[in-house]
Amino acid sequence: MFEKYFLPIIIFFPIAIVQLTLVPLISVQSIAPDLITIVLVYFTLRQGQLYGTVLGFTFGLFFDLMSGGLLGSAMFSKTLAGFITGYFYNESKILENTTTIKIVFIVLLASLVDSSFYSLLALPEVRISITSVILEQGLLPALYTSILSLTVVLLSPFKKSL
Amino acid sequence: MQKIFRRFFLEYKEYIVVTLLLVISISLISQNENTQIKKVRTLAFGGFALVHSISSGIRDVFANKDEIEELKKLNAELMLKVNLLREYGLENRELKELLNFRDTTNYELVPGKIISKLVSKTHGNFIVNIGISDSVKTGMPIVNSDGLVGIITDASENFSVVRTLGNSVLNLAVTNQRSNVNGILSWNGNALIIKNIPSNFDNEIGDRIVTSEFSTILPPSIPVGVISEKETNIAGVLTNLVVQPFTDFTAMKNIFAVKFIESEQINELELNLLKK
Repeated sequence: MFEKYFLPIIIFFPIAIVQLTLVPLISVQSIAPDLITIVLVYFTLRQGQLYGTVLGFTFGLFFDLMSGGLLGSAMFSKTLAGFITGYFYNESKILENTTTIKIVFIVLLASLVDSSFYSLLALPEVRISITSVILEQGLLPALYTSILSLTVVLLSPFKKSL
Repeated sequence: MQKIFRRFFLEYKEYIVVTLLLVISISLISQNENTQIKKVRTLAFGGFALVHSISSGIRDVFANKDEIEELKKLNAELMLKVNLLREYGLENRELKELLNFRDTTNYELVPGKIISKLVSKTHGNFIVNIGISDSVKTGMPIVNSDGLVGIITDASENFSVVRTLGNSVLNLAVTNQRSNVNGILSWNGNALIIKNIPSNFDNEIGDRIVTSEFSTILPPSIPVGVISEKETNIAGVLTNLVVQPFTDFTAMKNIFAVKFIESEQINELELNLLKK
């Protein structure tokens, strides 16, 4: 009960603050990792698709409100990212999915969907091609995010020993 | 019937929920300029910004804040004056007969600090630690020592949201300081572009771009950037100018709100996009 409903929300706020205050310091040419997507993927792989979809929506709503950005944009992209991640949920392989290199690839895909749609929502004003949006504004942040998600894999033996 | 619906829902609940949530998100995006939504956003980011400012304060605990801020303020004031003098010089050469040229501008600056940044190629915005209590209002321009940074789009009691030049929603009236060619500057996701300028207009690479006198939301002559590239379309009739901004959005920490006193007459016009 606690892990399912309260823990993700409790973890979200410090992660979102780090995302908005410290992550800009490690961004390269406006390309930054998305820590919130890593948390979203982790909890979705533990709880399932429907849960991930709703959690993505909730994280997106809070993030839009905290960042002062376009309300609805992160909600949309993170809902979709949670939904896509849900396809990798397997009740019998939870530990394997969340503690091995598999999570890095799932984060890559979820983050690609998330950052591409987040940028695409600004397309009415942006006059560049969809391919360019997906490659430059989707794939590069996704790669950066997936590299950071390695920390989840590296920390997992430590977590198991606790 | 009820059973069929129930079975249908249970079988496709993931798809129904995701569709519903995506529709809610899309409808919220379209309602962003709604007054009620704006109120909720102002209230929310004001509350969260307080937490951001505390964590941002911890980050800067070793910095000599007062001295740096004072020097940066002085730098920004000098930047505005230098740019004004440059403009006067150009105008003076052109209009020597106007001996009683009026000194019209002496902007008051409110120093502020960026407490959080949304790093994105299309949605660039900051939250800064100045708000209504510092006499800051929606629509005020934000500058640093290099030039224009953006404008304030939401202001709560102690914090404000700044839409930067790197936000695709922001469109600004700008002018070429040398040739006085006017245009609309916007962010295309990769660069600042002044679109559809007739090719026979006098624009050279290296020309300085400043805010235009035609702008209803910004004071004139705030430096924006320099023309770095000219892209003529296939027909050769129109040109897009790529502008390299003076400000580096990724590195900046301190900003200044320019207390720009808007013209009441301009405010009454229907074309003023920030009219309340």
